[in-house]
Amino acid sequence: MAANDPALPLLSVRNLSVDFRTDEGRITAVDDVSFDIMPGEVLGLVGESGSGKSVTAKALMRLNPGNTIYAPESRIVLRDEGREIDVLALRRARDLMVVRGGRVSMIFQEPMASFAPAITIGRQMEEQLLLHTGLTRRQARAHSIDMLARVGISDPAKRIDQYAFEFSGGMRQRAMIAMALSTRPRLLIADEPTTALDVTIQAQVLDLMRGLVAEYGMAILFITHDLGVIAQMADRVAVMYLGRIAEAGSVRQVIRTPAHPYTIGLLNALPKVDDPDAALTPIPGDIPSPLDRPSGCVFHTRCPQAMPGLCDRRVPLLAEHAAGHAAACFALDPAEAPA
Amino acid sequence: MLMFLRFAATRAVMALVTLLTVSFIVFSLMALVPANCAERYLAYKTTQGDQITIADIRAEESRLGLDRPFVVRWVAWVGDVFLRGDFGESCILRVRVSQLVGDKFLLSLGICAAALLFAYAIALPVGIFSASSSRPVLNNVLRLVSYLGLALPNFLLALIIMLISTMMFGDSMTGLFSREFRDVPWSLARLADFLSRAWLPVFILGWSATAFAMQTVRALVADENGKLYVTAARARGVHGVALLWRYPARHALGPIINSLGFDLNRVFNQLPIVAVILVLTDSGALLLEALARSNDQQLAGAIIFLLTASIVALNFITDLALAAADPRVRKSVMEG
Repeated sequence: MAANDPALPLLSVRNLSVDFRTDEGRITAVDDVSFDIMPGEVLGLVGESGSGKSVTAKALMRLNPGNTIYAPESRIVLRDEGREIDVLALRRARDLMVVRGGRVSMIFQEPMASFAPAITIGRQMEEQLLLHTGLTRRQARAHSIDMLARVGISDPAKRIDQYAFEFSGGMRQRAMIAMALSTRPRLLIADEPTTALDVTIQAQVLDLMRGLVAEYGMAILFITHDLGVIAQMADRVAVMYLGRIAEAGSVRQVIRTPAHPYTIGLLNALPKVDDPDAALTPIPGDIPSPLDRPSGCVFHTRCPQAMPGLCDRRVPLLAEHAAGHAAACFALDPAEAPA
Repeated sequence: MLMFLRFAATRAVMALVTLLTVSFIVFSLMALVPANCAERYLAYKTTQGDQITIADIRAEESRLGLDRPFVVRWVAWVGDVFLRGDFGESCILRVRVSQLVGDKFLLSLGICAAALLFAYAIALPVGIFSASSSRPVLNNVLRLVSYLGLALPNFLLALIIMLISTMMFGDSMTGLFSREFRDVPWSLARLADFLSRAWLPVFILGWSATAFAMQTVRALVADENGKLYVTAARARGVHGVALLWRYPARHALGPIINSLGFDLNRVFNQLPIVAVILVLTDSGALLLEALARSNDQQLAGAIIFLLTASIVALNFITDLALAAADPRVRKSVMEG
């Protein structure tokens, strides 16, 4: 068994396009998205609701519903101990287990809704361990209690036999994290894990996650609409808008020197801690319906820098403007800009 | 466990209070029927040629205790029913109601319960499977079958089966017993005869109940299927039958148990019609007879009370089953 090569990405997504077949026709949710996640890296995926960030995350575990169509050129490759797993080519549920709770785990936005209400927390944790490891039920239980203790749940030997509705919101999310990490995945997908929590609890959970990432050396795909959370958590960030990546780079680059007009707009819409009286500038207009995707650059309908005749006709590609910092915008590309 | 017993005891007391209330309503209804038992019996006698005077009626009333106040009569009736299972005498036939109803009521209850069992034995697997299957052909076939079940009235189905069976076997399959077993005491041969005939009413009653139950189960499981915890379980690698049973099906159990009470009610209501057509001597038919032919309020009251009591009893059982199935119910009833 070869260990993972730290120089190779743990996960590579190439040209991922996801459509949904609906009664109204085909809806494009994700359009030609590519990114890598390195081992142990935290990648933030930022966007408004409808930007395709959750669909992208679910594609990694193939959790999208039955009416999902992945474009033929899409590739999702997970590298696991020297093996390359072509996630979109997995067919049987048994083969999919490697990305479902085996090497990849996911935690969801609603910790209450993600536990089955009539099954104890312990049963659900043990079930996952029995599926993915060779542990006996007794060992699985002992390991689950240990995991609950590690995420800071007091009296875990008693708590393990309780139901989700007997836990507080923060405890549920801690238990969810304990369950997700119990199989020692290489990648944790966190879909808005703190959005439903109070701000103080949110900080605790983020703290806990940061500590566990360092301890377990796993990578995280952190999905959120909150740039503030990204600034605390992520190493790199990709900003999504209407199914496409608008900008990607290190957190420092993207937040200090945003390049894409959409990222600039998002940052201007945040309150500034050092100048709370400064007016917030929201991005004008609403996110268009996915049934009615704009032609050309999907952001041109709301973009202050849109160039008629160019942005509404041609699709800008993601191009690197500084080392490791890429954006998809014609205004940044001197070759494309009109004379 | 102790908590559960306490919960069960509370529910039992509540069921008893409900039954008392029901008995009061039933008894009031019996008293509201124009003419009391004495008058009715004696009026019936006059049709047989006897001459009846007012004094005869008064004497009969005091013999039956009808001259006592209403509440006293209710308490006496309820006491007899609860303590000795005695519903008094039939107004017209002048025999004990319990003797008239006899095992007929238990037979009806058994037929209804068997029909429900039959319905859910089919509806549970089919409903769960079709809610989780994405094959449109299968689902459309099931939908067709179940609409047929809802649309085809029981009595028509009964007539069709009787017609076919008469043409093919020369026996219309009516009645719960063949002629030679009709009025003999229970024996193994009689039981075998009963079972060889009882499947028909069970099937006919179960037919539409199955269609209903299939729709209910399908909708409830489909509802659970869409919930986040099912996605979360899939994301943990749970799949196949284990996923289906432990997650959506397991969690739809509560509402399915809840719907059982309604189902039994519906089957009970359909029983008299089916019973008349199949010439079953069960209590549903007996009730119709008691009401329509002879205005026998003692008999009718007893049967209405027994029907209601079985539904109250079923609700008591489903309450317990619900608490056993769903920890949230358990917690709320035990702490509330």
